[in-house]
Amino acid sequence: MGACRRIGKSRPGSRSLPELKRPADSVATLFDLQEKNRRKTRLIVLCFVVFFIWLGLGLDLSLYYLKGSSKNAGNLSRQNISATQNSTPDNAELRAPAKQRKPFYPVYAAVVGLAGAIAAWWSMSNASETVLKTMMAKPADKTGGADEQTLVNVVEEMCIAAGLAPPSVWIIPDDDPNALATGLEDGDYHIAVTRGLLAVLTRDELQAVVAHEIAHLKNGDTRLMTSLAVLVGMTALISEFVARVRFSNSRAGSVSDNIDVDTDDIRIGALIFVLWLVSILVAPTATRLMALMVSREREYLADASSAQFTRNPEALASALAKIAQAAGPTQLVAPASAMLCIASPASADLSWRENWFATHPPIRKRIGRLKSMGAPDGFQNTVRMHF
Amino acid sequence: MTSIITLVIIAAVFFWLISAYNRLISLKGQTANAFKQIDVQLKRRHDLIPNLINAVKGAMQFEKDTLEAVISARNTAVSAAAGATPETLSGMASAEGSLTSALGRFLAVVEAYPDLKATANVGQLQEELSSTENRVSFARQAYNDTATAYNVSQSQFPMVLVAGLAKSAQVELWELAEESERAVPAVDLSLN
Repeated sequence: MGACRRIGKSRPGSRSLPELKRPADSVATLFDLQEKNRRKTRLIVLCFVVFFIWLGLGLDLSLYYLKGSSKNAGNLSRQNISATQNSTPDNAELRAPAKQRKPFYPVYAAVVGLAGAIAAWWSMSNASETVLKTMMAKPADKTGGADEQTLVNVVEEMCIAAGLAPPSVWIIPDDDPNALATGLEDGDYHIAVTRGLLAVLTRDELQAVVAHEIAHLKNGDTRLMTSLAVLVGMTALISEFVARVRFSNSRAGSVSDNIDVDTDDIRIGALIFVLWLVSILVAPTATRLMALMVSREREYLADASSAQFTRNPEALASALAKIAQAAGPTQLVAPASAMLCIASPASADLSWRENWFATHPPIRKRIGRLKSMGAPDGFQNTVRMHF
Repeated sequence: MTSIITLVIIAAVFFWLISAYNRLISLKGQTANAFKQIDVQLKRRHDLIPNLINAVKGAMQFEKDTLEAVISARNTAVSAAAGATPETLSGMASAEGSLTSALGRFLAVVEAYPDLKATANVGQLQEELSSTENRVSFARQAYNDTATAYNVSQSQFPMVLVAGLAKSAQVELWELAEESERAVPAVDLSLN
């Protein structure tokens, strides 16, 4: 792989594809997609926040209704509870002191909401550092040999093509070819590639892979994916936590202990409790599936953007084929970071079918789409498909 | 009732005007920025060439023509780049075009000297130069993409109505200036 062959190959190669004649269109479309992605990130974070609050509030409400005036609620509410129908605490207080019942303190909602918010904020602000640290990534240096020089150059070239400030470049000491991008905002963007990737790919292919990662950064995918990864993890954690709290609490004072609890209250409480229990049980899986669906969608978009930046979809196709051939798992990449990689680190998925539990679409399908972009007039048809 | 509707319509039109104007201004800024990017990369290229020439000069005595062609093309390009604006684009583009083709020939010739290529320093410089060539191309591509977006959106209806207000004018694209640049440099390896 001589340097001169590189230029000979990459320049006319990348420039001789002016058939991809849709720059204006694509720029506008990409801008719109970025904006859309930003909105999506905000919406998803909001949904998760609401969900966390529900995890706490549901517990509060069901405990409140189920226990009504439990022993620790005091004598006052014990006398009044039978007179109270299913009215909100505020209303009850307003109507008459006689109908007063135990005041509603959303303790768990506050605890879970606050803990979730703090934990999510903390792990998000440390996300990229943690990811890089667990992979034992080392910063790439221009003076560190021909491979690293080429890598740094290629990253800078693709940043020019994408109009992005250069991210920091890292090398992962792993022999399996793979690459990933991470970071929440400008100034905190990182691209990491494995040694195996540098060894296997030609300059053109490396350029295409780097362009794919740059596209993830540029489109705001890493922000979305990192938020998703953190929030999905948080959901699992919180579900676990509140489930434990609930069960230890129910042992301490179970419903059957309270004879003077209103039956309506029990019904409402039971209903809320069942809803809450279902959401706890379903949440971890549901959020994971949703995150994975978003992830697969973003991969297609990044492939298309890579083709837009390099004007050379064939290079990415052949790079993906090489990555798929080296079917060994990337050991240094933790499963939690799988969504950030160019190809699933677990093992190559060579089937044609979309798998619900996969972080990436099947490689063959991606290659197929890239090849159809390379064909004259093919680009126009494929780039539109994203939503 | 009708007055309220009229007011709403006027307000809507007003807000559309503001957003359309802002979009054009932002595109204009992006185009200027993309143009500056080309400038930066061209400067890098101009600075790099003397280094490369010095590194190979000794070993390539008998390729004097090729070396001199690169040097003179570089000097022309440097003077063309001085004080360039999007308006003087065509002169600059043609100077850079000749430099690109001179460099292409030069690199093709270097390829014919395996000993030279084996020198680490030359290998590094060559990588830098090919990277610079790519950077110039990509900066040009980014400029053309941005400029096309700007050109298209300012001539589309209804944006065209605001174009005068935003002082928008069509900008030139950076095209291949010479036929020679389109041609892939021919390499004659029969010498060795």
